[in-house]
Amino acid sequence: MSVTKVVEIPVTLEIPIGPQHPALHEPLMLKVYADGEEVVKVDINTGYNHRGIEKLCERNSFYRNIFICGRVCGICNTVHANCYVRAVEYLMDIDPPKRAKYLRVLAMELERIHSHLIINAIMAEILGFDTLFMYIMRDREKIMKAKEILTGNRVLADYMMIGGVRRDVNGVKKDRLLNIINTIEGDIKRYIKIFETDDTITKRLMGVGVIKPSQITKYGLLGPIARGSNIKIDVRMGDKYDAYGEIPFNVIIRKEMDSWARMMVRWEETLESVNMCRYVLEHLPSDGPAVPDERRLPRRFPAGESFARVEAPRGELTYYINSVGKQVPYRVKIRTPSFNNIINSGFSYIGYSIADVPVILTSYDPCIACMERAIVINVKRGTRKSVSLKQLAKGEV
Amino acid sequence: MPGPSLLKEVLQRFFSKPVTIQYPFESTDVEKDLRGKHYADLSKCIGCSLCAIECPADAIVMEKLQENKKPKQNPRGLYPVIDYGLCVFCYRCVTVCPVKAFITTDNYHLASPTKLNSRDITLKTLPEKKR
Repeated sequence: MSVTKVVEIPVTLEIPIGPQHPALHEPLMLKVYADGEEVVKVDINTGYNHRGIEKLCERNSFYRNIFICGRVCGICNTVHANCYVRAVEYLMDIDPPKRAKYLRVLAMELERIHSHLIINAIMAEILGFDTLFMYIMRDREKIMKAKEILTGNRVLADYMMIGGVRRDVNGVKKDRLLNIINTIEGDIKRYIKIFETDDTITKRLMGVGVIKPSQITKYGLLGPIARGSNIKIDVRMGDKYDAYGEIPFNVIIRKEMDSWARMMVRWEETLESVNMCRYVLEHLPSDGPAVPDERRLPRRFPAGESFARVEAPRGELTYYINSVGKQVPYRVKIRTPSFNNIINSGFSYIGYSIADVPVILTSYDPCIACMERAIVINVKRGTRKSVSLKQLAKGEV
Repeated sequence: MPGPSLLKEVLQRFFSKPVTIQYPFESTDVEKDLRGKHYADLSKCIGCSLCAIECPADAIVMEKLQENKKPKQNPRGLYPVIDYGLCVFCYRCVTVCPVKAFITTDNYHLASPTKLNSRDITLKTLPEKKR
């Protein structure tokens, strides 16, 4: 029998990007299958950074958990603490004074500004535009200083407390904060112009990683990613928690749906946050003490469950607390936006080149520290089962 | 060709001072109320251990004073020692202290060849007559 036909099968490359990789700043494994330069499949593998914070919360008291929850993520620590504190406040039926609510919004918006600045800087670095990275990081220092003036520390604020905040601002601090906010506004406008006009950026970002609105709703993506694909979703507008109901702001949406649109959503949100910070400082109410006496806060926690959500810089963050009337919570469940955004986003790399993979990933603003958990507990039977993240992404739980 | 505004800034930066602070040689400018190293004032401390119970990082250990050195208000002779390597500087101990016994500083220098704790500096605050 002689050979009549030869079938040539093209080689499919399997390229591991991560967990340690120059293009990734956090430990995440992207197993990229490529046909030549074109990506045909991406497996997302996490689990390199699991710290068991949810379990730790079950062993520590409600008050200690405020600081433990604040350390789930370094960049968005204020929103984590705020979400936890508000969930406990709902459980205990405490309403903090308006001044405290305004100050909470101020701290969270300062955090949003510096979070958006850092991811835009990282995007510039990933594109090979290191000069821009340095300049954005230099101007971000101003916001870190503002956070230091307001909360007492540059990064980990530890600013939230049940019934209020932990520090108040006086006239001198208010003037300094206003001064910083007015300076940073000009810087942000300059960077927006660069992101809109610079060839280095637009050629790498425009038309890369397009996600249609139907895919956003199908895969449950959140935050600036959804808003970059023309979906108006924002917990600040939806829940109007803390003082967001009284502070005017716009929900930014873009219609381009690509990586560039997501970065532009972040830039325009930064400007919006600057305006919100200015509004808060100019209209700070003085209806009651913003700082509660921590020695006199209630020590008894009623049985029950509560749920709070907050708009983190990366999307919707939710906390669920189950209390059985003891000093420690029975269960604290954290659902972070990065978990949805990264694990469900494998489909969006397909069809682009390998060089685009880090760009698309960075446009999702990955925060790996937030997203490492996958144990399902059947409450009725009391059984535990470990579920692979792939199954979880498909909803087979 | 990069964007026009950045090119201008890059050229300007050639003739200005560097922004980077050479940290160990020159110190960073910090706020006076930055949450830095803190320690207990033994002329006020009553040894109630509330700071050790509330510490989210378990960085505070209550140690015992010598019998002849116990201050009047602290009959049990317990005092908190903060391990600065474990401390997360949330200042929960400072705010829960019933007698406001903690002294706060803006000292953020934590690099050291030995383990850092607040034992020596706290013992210096013992009231004079009891020494």
